[in-house]
Amino acid sequence: MDAESRKKALHYFFDKVVDPLGFKFTPDVELMDFLLEQEVMLEGKHGIPFCPCQPLRHDRARDMQIVCPCIPFHRKHFDAIRRCWCGLFVHKDVIDPDSLPQLSPKDVGLE
Amino acid sequence: MSDKFVRAIRIDEIAPGGMKTVEIDGREIVICNSGGAYYAVQRRCGHMNAALELGTLDGQYLTCGMHCAQFDIVTGQALSGPVPADLGNESPPPKLAEFLQHAGMQMKHVRTESIRTYETKLEAGWVLVAP
Repeated sequence: MDAESRKKALHYFFDKVVDPLGFKFTPDVELMDFLLEQEVMLEGKHGIPFCPCQPLRHDRARDMQIVCPCIPFHRKHFDAIRRCWCGLFVHKDVIDPDSLPQLSPKDVGLE
Repeated sequence: MSDKFVRAIRIDEIAPGGMKTVEIDGREIVICNSGGAYYAVQRRCGHMNAALELGTLDGQYLTCGMHCAQFDIVTGQALSGPVPADLGNESPPPKLAEFLQHAGMQMKHVRTESIRTYETKLEAGWVLVAP
């Protein structure tokens, strides 16, 4: 299977999910490309495009919460940091994704 | 371009996002309406031969209804294989477990292949396909 074609397809499907949630793909095209490529590799291995930046626990209920785009499962956290954990998606008003640090739920007072 | 185009279906027979199967020269072909553009692909899924018109079409992406393998209807490329099923946390009855183990062993060797595409053109209200 061709990784570039799959990346294009994931982009198409993910965009439909994140847009109504107020998110968009990061304007950092290089990062977007890299993260999508990692997801294609994870999908090739597991059959599911998991978030490349979160560990699989081999507990289906928990692992399903990191299937990209995992925004609905971490909504409060991601709204607080205006990006998703790995930075593939950012709030629609973000133009400088590098200005958004990767803060944990604890860092933003959610734990 | 092939000069063997034959009438497959009328243009108004499928709404955008819809699919319909026709048989031409013994070949099962699915005609897809992707936002007003018509594409034709083989009917059988490149994973386990399921009927692709029973799946879903979103843009140029066709998802098989059986195991969710995905294909690009423009190029025929296989984009992803089957999605793992959720068998729940409870152990299945022994006979079913034995069958699942056997089926799983066989399925490990199944590859998802790209699907064949066919040329299409529109003419006088018809979708023509070159089988």
